Amino acid sequence: MTATTVHAIPAAARRSHRRTWTIWGAILLAPYVAVLLVLVAYPVGYGLYLGANPASYRRLFADPIFLTAAVNTILFLLIAVNVKMVIALGLSGFFAVPRWWIRLLLVLFILPWAVPSIPTILSFRVMLNPETGLINQQLFQLFDIFEGPPWLTDPWLAFFGAVVVHIWKSLPFWTLILLTGRLAIARDLYEAASVDGASRWQRFRFVTWPSVAALYVTSVILSTIWTLGDFNSVYLLTGGGPNDSTQVLATLGIRYLRNNALDLGVASIIVAMPLVLPLVFVMVKRLSKGGEA
Amino acid sequence: MPKIDLRSLSAGCALALVLAAALPAQAEDTLTVWFTKGFYKGEDDALLALIDRYQKSTGVKVELSLYSTEDCIVKSVAAVEAGTPPDVGYCTTYDFRTTGQWAYEGKLEDVSDVINPIKDQFQPDALATTFLMNGKTGQKAYYAFPIERQTMHIFYWKDMLQDAGFSEADIPGTWNEYWDFWCDKVQGALRAKGKRIYGIGQPMSVAASDTFFSFLTWANAYNVKIVDESGKIVLDQPENRAAMIEAVKSYSSIFTRGCTPPSSVNWLDTDNNVNFHNKTTVLTDNATISIPGKHLDDSTNPSLTEEQRAQAKKNYEENIRTAYFPKKPDGGTLPNLAATKTAVIFADSKNKAQAKEFMAFMMKDENLTPFVEGSVGRWYPVTKSGAARPFWTDGTDPHRAVVSKQFTGGTVPFPFVYNYHFTTVNAENVWAKALNRVVQDGVSPDQAVDEMIARIKEIAG
Repeated sequence: MTATTVHAIPAAARRSHRRTWTIWGAILLAPYVAVLLVLVAYPVGYGLYLGANPASYRRLFADPIFLTAAVNTILFLLIAVNVKMVIALGLSGFFAVPRWWIRLLLVLFILPWAVPSIPTILSFRVMLNPETGLINQQLFQLFDIFEGPPWLTDPWLAFFGAVVVHIWKSLPFWTLILLTGRLAIARDLYEAASVDGASRWQRFRFVTWPSVAALYVTSVILSTIWTLGDFNSVYLLTGGGPNDSTQVLATLGIRYLRNNALDLGVASIIVAMPLVLPLVFVMVKRLSKGGEA
Repeated sequence: MPKIDLRSLSAGCALALVLAAALPAQAEDTLTVWFTKGFYKGEDDALLALIDRYQKSTGVKVELSLYSTEDCIVKSVAAVEAGTPPDVGYCTTYDFRTTGQWAYEGKLEDVSDVINPIKDQFQPDALATTFLMNGKTGQKAYYAFPIERQTMHIFYWKDMLQDAGFSEADIPGTWNEYWDFWCDKVQGALRAKGKRIYGIGQPMSVAASDTFFSFLTWANAYNVKIVDESGKIVLDQPENRAAMIEAVKSYSSIFTRGCTPPSSVNWLDTDNNVNFHNKTTVLTDNATISIPGKHLDDSTNPSLTEEQRAQAKKNYEENIRTAYFPKKPDGGTLPNLAATKTAVIFADSKNKAQAKEFMAFMMKDENLTPFVEGSVGRWYPVTKSGAARPFWTDGTDPHRAVVSKQFTGGTVPFPFVYNYHFTTVNAENVWAKALNRVVQDGVSPDQAVDEMIARIKEIAG
């Protein structure tokens, strides 16, 4: 055996070894890629294909229901996201207090988020029925009020009902997120602030807020993206009614599908992309910056 | 890490490809069938028995999926657009929303070869709904199978009427007086007793097909003509526009006078039934006799108590009345607006020959009749022999006797039979929108009707 032959064998073995790992890597990655192609790339691509006809958008923009849905969506986002996050920020301070009964309350507080949407939101719908619902029935029996508030038959009450249901359902999640942010703040900072005579507001402004601000903004962006796609709160509570007055972009698609206008349904989703995609981009940038920090 | 034997890996992949190729071959022996789930166990049992007989006689496997009324139409529309429809579809709102349009767009299979040999067995009105225009060929042909029919009926609680201090003899037979009786007298009397009820359960929602069925029945009472027999829109003609304004005014006044539950603007198709069953309303109209039928079904339901079954039997036999509409405002008899439920074979079906064989099998009397009668009267037969059966004609059932008389007295079709675009008009519920413009937005009936006409012309003009 020559010296060159002795050196050639390990190199060939190394190449073969690398090829084996590459093949195994490809095999193990293949199911993920297949799922991604079948469940993400294909549906998104097919949706874009269905929504590629400019005539669909002309018809969509000419439908007065679309304008109603677009305005409702913007209002829903502005009100629901901001109210929810401000309340979550406040509640996170409450739940950060180390008392056994507060911990018990936290468990109960999480329940709305934990239980399935369909039975809970339908329960709201039943409860708010103007004739047979619990609230108006009690108003009739206790105070002889025959026609109680038109919870789901007045367009504005129905709309704000959907906003309240959305906040009720998703508030616990965001409260928990902000609570974890608060709990990560070093106790020493609060002790030092107390020693320096800082008031409660000053402790929040100069210790808590600087520490959770980044988390708060990230949560607002993520909540906006998720709220834009909140179908259940509107569909299950009002069905988009009365008279399509509470439709949002998330529910408009199913309305068009029922009306045998699939192209309009897809178009109503695609028009939300100019809002969603920048938010996603900003989110990803923030998260990657956060990693670098 | 073991060395990979690439030959083994290649053999495995080849086997997987062979199996995948074999699956479509297997699919040819399987028929995909989508139906709306029945309200009653009897309907579904009859369907399953029919499928079982078909499978045994042909060896073809049937994959049946049963969907709720709304899910059935949503899934069908999505499947047709995706090019992957079932072989056979039967949703109970196809006729209202899609059949005519699909036929025009060439998305349905021409089934004239199945219908023509047996067309004499059908009632002519029922068959007319399935003879549709194909826009691609420019020809009319049979593009659907008539399965069962429906028309509007009035239902009221006799015991509530008596509780209000009235008898059936007090009910007026003329149009305005009839509705005033239930709204002012019966409702007023029951509310004076402290009951939180409404005289009339009037569908008002854009989300319910009950609304347009009910409203178009009212429009017929005012002699509104919407399209002529060639499909041309005539609603914009002065006399028809004026009549439509009266119909909108009359229908919406039930809501504005407080005679129907405020929640009726949000009702889905089952909600007028629910409000009637829980005695929130004294009277309602409905496009089948599923309202008393529910009590007939309950009277034999083993999961209920003996008392509940007895009460259900009493409700069916004594307390609930199925009645005719009153005379029209001009004194004439209200024509019965009838719809025929249609099953279809899709043009993109993978098994058209077998689908036709299945539907020909289903159309046989011995198969179709148990399916229709399994609905305990909810649906009326499309065949002459079915309509002549004692189930409908022996007069022993008070509810079915009324239905039989309404159908044998003659029916009129929906506008979409003449102009398929009216399936879109119905899907969008242009009629309910006009009503809601009056009751929710406070516009005048004239303006609401003008908006209605404009929208109809945009869709169907």
